[in-house]
Amino acid sequence: MLLVRGAATLAGLLTLALVATGCGSGSADAPAGSGTGAGATAVRVTLSNDGCQADPATVAAGPTTFTIKNEGGSSVSEAELVSGSRILGEKEGLTPGLSGSFSLDLKPGSYQLYCPNAKAERSAFTVTGTSSSASASSSAAAAVNAATAGYHSYLKGKAASLIALTGTFVAAVKAGQVERAKALYAQARAPYEAIEPVAESFGDLDPAIDAREGDVPAAEWGGYHRIERQLWVAGNTTGMAPVADKLLADVKTLATRIAGSSFQAADLANGATELLTEVSKSKLTGEEERYSGTDLSDIAANLAGSRAAFDLLAPALAGTASGDALVTTIRGRFARTDALMAEHATPGGTYQPYKKLDATAIRELTVATDALAEPLSQLAEQVVTIK
Amino acid sequence: MSAHFSRRGFLTGALGTAAAAGGAAALAGCDPAKPAAGRASVVAFRGAHQAGIATPAQDRLAFAAFDVTSTSRAELIDLLRRWTLAAERMTRGEPVGAVDGSEHYVPADTGEATGLPAANLTITIGFGPGLFDSRFGLAGRRPAALRELPRFAGDELDPRISGGDLCIQACADDPQVAFHAVRNLNRIGFGVTAMRWFQLGFGRTSSTTPSQQTPRNLMGFKDGTRNVNGEVPADLDAHVWVGPNSDQAWLTGGSYLVSRKIRMGIESWDRDRIGDQEAVFGRTKVAGAPLTGRQERDEPDLAAKAADGTPVIPADAHIRLAAPESNGGVKILRRGYSFTDGVDPVTGQLDAGLFFICFQSDPATGFIPVQRNLATDALNEYIKHTSSALFACPPGPADGQYWGQQLFS
Repeated sequence: MLLVRGAATLAGLLTLALVATGCGSGSADAPAGSGTGAGATAVRVTLSNDGCQADPATVAAGPTTFTIKNEGGSSVSEAELVSGSRILGEKEGLTPGLSGSFSLDLKPGSYQLYCPNAKAERSAFTVTGTSSSASASSSAAAAVNAATAGYHSYLKGKAASLIALTGTFVAAVKAGQVERAKALYAQARAPYEAIEPVAESFGDLDPAIDAREGDVPAAEWGGYHRIERQLWVAGNTTGMAPVADKLLADVKTLATRIAGSSFQAADLANGATELLTEVSKSKLTGEEERYSGTDLSDIAANLAGSRAAFDLLAPALAGTASGDALVTTIRGRFARTDALMAEHATPGGTYQPYKKLDATAIRELTVATDALAEPLSQLAEQVVTIK
Repeated sequence: MSAHFSRRGFLTGALGTAAAAGGAAALAGCDPAKPAAGRASVVAFRGAHQAGIATPAQDRLAFAAFDVTSTSRAELIDLLRRWTLAAERMTRGEPVGAVDGSEHYVPADTGEATGLPAANLTITIGFGPGLFDSRFGLAGRRPAALRELPRFAGDELDPRISGGDLCIQACADDPQVAFHAVRNLNRIGFGVTAMRWFQLGFGRTSSTTPSQQTPRNLMGFKDGTRNVNGEVPADLDAHVWVGPNSDQAWLTGGSYLVSRKIRMGIESWDRDRIGDQEAVFGRTKVAGAPLTGRQERDEPDLAAKAADGTPVIPADAHIRLAAPESNGGVKILRRGYSFTDGVDPVTGQLDAGLFFICFQSDPATGFIPVQRNLATDALNEYIKHTSSALFACPPGPADGQYWGQQLFS
């Protein structure tokens, strides 16, 4: 858990609007077109060490083919059409004298031609009028709506699982069934770990549910980790009944708050990255589950929650050069973390205790997590430009 | 993609104005403490040879070795392209991408060099032997000399801080600029590379031009007075650059980099008497003169005998054993840095010494015979080598090329 986030995250993550409204300028969407069909507007782009100039620099909305020629610029070899930080189309590897092209179905808006390493790397490109194929834009926006709605369903489902599994765990604790409670512990927490950034956005609930020893004043310490210590260190459930009751009440409150909240696309994207920050910060160091050693179960749940948010957003990103590349990269990186986690799974559907991991295994997981989190962190800005 | 601007945009603009005005009065109008920094602190990134080898040694070092975690040749080439672009920008004093943007933008540049000058930053890449295994289709292009270094007397190497598929040497006059360079390349590499080890050097121990003062190492001595002069092309061609007749044409114009982390037994050294310290090096401590001379640049007379018939520069003195005269004329370009990694957690003693770097046209006629000759070095009583690596540094990228493009084409 992260205690310091509190109010700021609450404000940032929760919104009253159900639908992502996108951001201000230059947010036209432009999926990659299907070739240089007849009727496409032709734009010639001259690439040189001075910059990249489009002729014409203003076109009407619709299918457009950019033909780029490098007129002897030795420092430049690439031209891109960008909207904000999104690469909508690009042609690379144009050494002096070479030509190349790409085609797009452009929506009205302000764009830039970008040619890295030129003296003037950017020039303005404007698309006027109304789109001849508005469906592309609205389908991306519809995909965003589907993602946010789907994520709300996912959260509600995880909250319901959390109540059910924690209820079973709490019952075992109150019945003094130490071994049964220990066996149920990691499983009971897993839904929480999958939706942790959302839980953290309710400032008071996360410390109550998930504080580790020392995170809060000792007299206030409750939640999963308080019971964890009692089970693994003391080896009994003495005094845990009220703690267990409070825990179950708190996860029920969490479920109620989730049901009454709504989320924007950026919240999904940022949440997906924050879950990986959780992995790096406390689980890969073995600090989260310091008594039970069940850190790998938390990691698996963090990854699953991150993957769920990403999978929901992926359709909204499809169809642009930058979006497709990002989705492909992230999928490959998730596959790598999944493969590594599978190496540590046990036949019973759980994971090896943290202390069984050697230095090589921890390093591999850390490298794979960094490799995944880096492209994932670019998701939010991509999705907020979708309208 | 991001807004592209100079870390020093304001100052560059001011200098441009000053130049246009053509007078010192205009220059005095901008920050008088900084004008020397502008373009003067930029070392050209592209050229026949990589910068950071013959370049006058900067004060600070950040050196990293990487493992390539991908097995895709295309991903490796793509990374080299992105690294080249980012490195070129940073050496111009620019960020690799925007450091700021709209609310949800994750800055492409990490930002800690914002506002700092280029600081003569050079970024030099090297390819380790491991890159030429079966993964990337490069097995047939491995130079014969690019293989793990042999074991030397007294080696106590830690494999965790030795070797690597790639290396990045970042040198600058500002430590934060050097650190920023390695950090950002590491970040760009996530998913394709993983940093294997990382070494900071806080002060140069070599001069690569005679106009630079020879710095002192942590033992208090000037070691490296007779270094290869980076301003004499004939010496560089003879000793540093790989020539056109090597076994791998892609490496022509490149060089071999050897790195060795040399831990000094500082506590023991500090209680050695000055007479012995000077005998160990073969130089006087304060003036840095050979024991046969009076000034630092005096040529050592290795044949000189004292009245009792013993050599003035002892048989086991460091400068005798490292001298070209003792190694068949071999010279290597030394470019090392002093380091400290704090306190040795086991002994509580200072973990400090020399992060030795040298460049040569062939390690088989450069570092390897010299290091073998140092087996009887009196200095060995006070030092131990704890890490070792060898990399082949490709030639400099021409306009439009990425680092090492010759290797892949």
